[in-house]
Amino acid sequence: MQNPPVPVGAKAGQPRHLSRRRSVRAGSRRQPTSRWAGWGFALPALVLVAVFGLMPILVAAAVSFTDLDIGGLAHPETIRLVGAENYLTLAADPEFWSAFALTAGYVVVGVPLITVLALAVATGLNRNGGRFYRLLRTLYFLPAVTALVAISVIWKYMFNGQFGLFNWLLDLAGLPAVNWLSDPTSAQIAVGMVAVWRAIGLNSIILLAALQGVPDDQLEAAALDGAGPVRRYLHVVLPQIRFALGFVVMTTLIGWLQFFDEPFVLTDGGPVGATTSLSLFLFKRGFRLNEFGYASAGSIVLLVTIAAVTLIQLRLRRAND
Amino acid sequence: MTSTRSRRKARERVGTVLIAVPLTLGALICALPFVWMVANSVKTRAEAVSYPPQLLPSQWTFAAYVKLFTELDFLHYTLNTVALVALGLVGLLLTAMAGYGFAKFKGRALGWGFFAVLMTMMIPAQVTMIPTYLVVNAAGLTNNLVGIALPTLVSAFGVFLFRQFMITIPDSLLEAARIDGASELRIFFAIALPISRPILIVQGLLTVIASWNSFLWPLILSSSQRTYTLSVGLSLLNKQITTDPTVQMAGAALMTLPIIVLFFLAQRHIVAGFTMSGIK
Amino acid sequence: MMHSRRAATALVATLILATSAGCAAGSAASSTPSGSTSASSSAAAYGKTLTVWVMGDSATKFEQLITPFETQTGIDVTVEAIPWDSVNDRLTSAVASGKGPDVTQIGLSQLASFLKGDALADVSADLAAYPNLAESNFPSAVANKALNPSGGVYSVPWIADTRVLFYRSDLLSAAGISAPPKTWDELRADAKKLTDKAAKRYGYYIPQWDAPLPVTYTWQAGGEIMTDGKVDVTSSAFTKAADHYLGLYADGSVPTASDFDQTTGFISGSVAMLVSGPYLAKAVAEQAPDLDGKWSVATVPTDASGTSLYAGSNLGVWKNTTNKVGALMLLNYLADPATQVSWYTSNGDLPAATAAYQDAKLSGDPLVKVYAEQLKDARLLPVSTKWDAASSEILTALNKIAVSGADKASTLKALADKVATINAGN
Repeated sequence: MQNPPVPVGAKAGQPRHLSRRRSVRAGSRRQPTSRWAGWGFALPALVLVAVFGLMPILVAAAVSFTDLDIGGLAHPETIRLVGAENYLTLAADPEFWSAFALTAGYVVVGVPLITVLALAVATGLNRNGGRFYRLLRTLYFLPAVTALVAISVIWKYMFNGQFGLFNWLLDLAGLPAVNWLSDPTSAQIAVGMVAVWRAIGLNSIILLAALQGVPDDQLEAAALDGAGPVRRYLHVVLPQIRFALGFVVMTTLIGWLQFFDEPFVLTDGGPVGATTSLSLFLFKRGFRLNEFGYASAGSIVLLVTIAAVTLIQLRLRRAND
Repeated sequence: MTSTRSRRKARERVGTVLIAVPLTLGALICALPFVWMVANSVKTRAEAVSYPPQLLPSQWTFAAYVKLFTELDFLHYTLNTVALVALGLVGLLLTAMAGYGFAKFKGRALGWGFFAVLMTMMIPAQVTMIPTYLVVNAAGLTNNLVGIALPTLVSAFGVFLFRQFMITIPDSLLEAARIDGASELRIFFAIALPISRPILIVQGLLTVIASWNSFLWPLILSSSQRTYTLSVGLSLLNKQITTDPTVQMAGAALMTLPIIVLFFLAQRHIVAGFTMSGIK
Repeated sequence: MMHSRRAATALVATLILATSAGCAAGSAASSTPSGSTSASSSAAAYGKTLTVWVMGDSATKFEQLITPFETQTGIDVTVEAIPWDSVNDRLTSAVASGKGPDVTQIGLSQLASFLKGDALADVSADLAAYPNLAESNFPSAVANKALNPSGGVYSVPWIADTRVLFYRSDLLSAAGISAPPKTWDELRADAKKLTDKAAKRYGYYIPQWDAPLPVTYTWQAGGEIMTDGKVDVTSSAFTKAADHYLGLYADGSVPTASDFDQTTGFISGSVAMLVSGPYLAKAVAEQAPDLDGKWSVATVPTDASGTSLYAGSNLGVWKNTTNKVGALMLLNYLADPATQVSWYTSNGDLPAATAAYQDAKLSGDPLVKVYAEQLKDARLLPVSTKWDAASSEILTALNKIAVSGADKASTLKALADKVATINAGN
C-alpha cells in the first residue's frame, strides 16, 4: 500500500524515484504553499471523515465505560460510569463468543473462497473481450449492485421451504429438500452463500482489470522459454497481480469481520442464534435491547480485532515481498 | 509450422470451451435471482406463492407496479433517491480532491490524515449510528437530503483509489503549470482531474450504486417521510405475515434495473478504470 | 482515583451533551411554526399542525381516516409511516435528540421501550376533558394500571389484536373430528391425528418467532410469567407451558422449518390448525376466496384457563410536543367508536373501543364475534424492558430443544440462570 506500482497507463510511465527526486528539489522552494494547498484539497474530506468516522469511535469508546441505555439517552444525568464492567461481562458472555467464533469461521472459509472464485471468474473473463463476455461480466456484477432490501426479498423467497425455487429444483433433480434457512447448519451455509454471491462481482472486476494490465510480452517470453500455461499463470501472471490480490484479500477480510447484512435480512441471526455474527450480535444488543454501553464495548473489541488482523496481514505481505 | 499452429489453435478452442461453459453457468447462477424477481413481480399474488413454482407467469399483471406508485409513494422516493445520487457526485469531487491532496503534497501530518481516512474503513456502520445521528441532528439537517448524504459523502475506499492513481501523475506536469502561473485549484481541475478520468468513472459508478441503494442513513436521519429513499420505501412493505411478495419484487426490480442498465453501458470504462487505478 | 473517575464521567457527559445541546436549539427553531399559529388563532388554544407516526405502509389509509378531523379542527396533520422493522431505530434517535412526532403509534410489544426512553407525555391529568379516552371504554386488559406499571397514563388504546385458534373445518371433518379442540389435551390429540408427515401435512403450527406464545401457555396453565417485577421461568406453570410447547414438537405435529409461511400453509392445507391473529383471516380471505366455508376460528384451547394474548397498538403523545391539546383532540377522535369502525372497514384492524363492536359491520361478522369473545379473556405481555430481554431467551431455549434437539433439562437450567442475570440488572 505504501509503495504502489506504476500503472500501465502510458502517460504515467515515468519511474517513481525520478519523479520524487524532482518534486523534492522543486519543493524546497515551494514547500510551504504546496503543503498548505495539500491541506486545502484534503480538508473537506478530512473534516467529514473526522466527524462521521473518527468521532463516533471516540463516543463509542467513552460510552463503553458507561451503562448507557435508552433511559440514559433521555436523562443523561442518570448515566453511570461502570469502569471495565461491560468488557468483563463481554468476556464471560457465551453468546458473544459464539458470535465471535462464527465470524472467525466465516473469515477462515470465506476469504480464500471469495478470492479463489473471483480470481477464477476474472481469469475466465480475461480470455476474451467480445460482446458475449461483456454480457457475462454484467451478469457477474449484478449481485454487487443490488440493494440489500431487494436481496432480502429475492433470496428469502428462493430459499423458502414451502414454495421456494431451490427446493423445487432439488425435487426435480430427485434430491431431498433442504431446510435452507431453518436448519442451523444449512442457514449458516445459505447466508454465507449469498454473501459470496454478492462479493464475487466487484472483486472479479478488480482482478480482471489487474489481469488486463499484465504485459503480453512477458507471457510471450515465458512461452518461448517453454513454460506451460499453468507455470505461466503461477510464475508470471500471479506475481504481476500481487497487489490487486492483496487488496481483494484485505477488503474481503474486513468485509467478513464486519459480516452483517445477509444474516440481518435473511435470518435475523436465527435459527436459534446460529447465524448471529459479531456485528449482528452488537446490533441486537445495542438497538433491539438498547444496551448501548454494552454494545459499544463490543464494537470497540470488534474494531481492535479488525485493526489487528489488518495490520498482521499487511506485515505478512511486506515480509513476503 | 502450420501444423503446430493449428494444433495450438485447436487446443485453444478446447480451452475456450472448457472455460466458457462453467463461466456461463456461473453467470447464469448469478443472474437467476433477478430473472426470478422480475418474473414474480408480474405474477398474481396467488401464483407467486404457489407450489410448484413456475418461472414464467401464466397470467401477466402489472398490478404490483401500479400499486407501488398509487398506494405507496414510490415516485417521491425515486425522486429523493435521484437527488441523493446527485449529492453523492458532489461527494465524489471532495473524494477526488482529497486523493489529490494526499497523493501530490508531502508532509507528515498529511500522511497521518491519510491514515485516519483508511482507519474509517474498519468501522462497522452500526458503531457510528447514534453519534452520527446526534451530529446531523445538532446541525439541524435531519429533515433534508443534504444531511442524509453527509455521513457517506466521502468514501475511504474512494480516497484510497484516487490517491493510488494520482500519485502516478508526473510532478513535472504540475510543476510546469505552476511555473506558468496556474493556481493550485486550476491545476487540479485542468490537469489532475482530466488525467484521472478512468478512476473517476469507476468511483462515479460505485458512488451512484451506493447512493441509489442507501438505506441505513436515510432511515435513521429522516425526520419525515418526505426524505425516504427507495430502499426505505421498500422496507415499509416488510410485515411479518401479510407481505405481498409481488409488490416487494416489483419494488426490488424497479430499484435494480436502472443500475443494471447503467453498468452494462459503462462496464468497459469500469474495467479500464480499475486497470489504470494502480491496483494490480 | 475518584478524581479521574469524575473526569471520565464528565467526558462522557460532554460528548453526549455537546451533540444534544445543539438539537434542543434545532428542535425549538423547527417547531416555531406550530407554536406561533396557536397564538394567532384566538378561538382555539391548540396548534394547527400535528405530526403522527404510524407503523407499516398504511400512511395513505390513515390520512383518509383523519381527513374529517382535519376539516373539523383546521389542524394540518402530517402522517409518517415508519417501517415495522425499524421502529426501534427511529425511537432511539428521536429519544436521543428529543425530537419526535406529536403523536405516535406504539406497538404494545414496544411500549416498555417507549416508557423507559421517557418519550411519552403523562396525560392522566388531561383525560377528563376527552370522553372517548376514558378507561372504561376499553377492555380491562388495557386498563391504565396494566399499561403503565409505574403509574401515570402514557398511552391510550387504539387497535386491538388477539390470538385465536384457526382451523380447517374440511380437514378436521375428513379426519373424523367434529369440533375444534377445546383443551390442550384435545389439541395435542387432534394435531397428531391430522398429521401425515409423509404427505408433509401437519396438524398444528407454531411460529418460531412468536415470543408471546410461551407466555400465553403459562397463563393458560394458571401461572404468571412475571411476578414482582421479576421474570419467572421456574414456576410449575411455566414448566407445564414448556411441556405443552415441546410436546407438540415431540409428537411431530408441527413443521420444524423456521421460514414456514403460515398463510400459504393454511391455505394449502399443510397445517390444519394454528393460533394466529385476525391478519391471517384477512390474508386467507384475500388470497383464497374459494376456501370460504372450509375454515373457521374458535377461542384458544384451554388448560386451567383460556387466556390469550392482547396485542395491538396504542397511541401516545410525544413528551415535548408543542401541541399537546391538538394531539389529545386527535387521540379523542381516533378513539371514537365511529372512527374505530371506519378504520376496521378500511384497514381491517380490530377496534380497541368496546362500543365499536356493537356496530352492525362488526357484530354481523361471525369471525369478529370470536375475536370479541377472546378479547374478554386476553392479557397484555408484561410491560418491562426486563421482559423484552428475557422473552427472546425463552424462545431461543425452547426452540433449541424442540428444533435442534438440545438437552431439555440443561437448556432450561441455563435459561433460568440467564433470566436470573436479567432480573438482577436494572
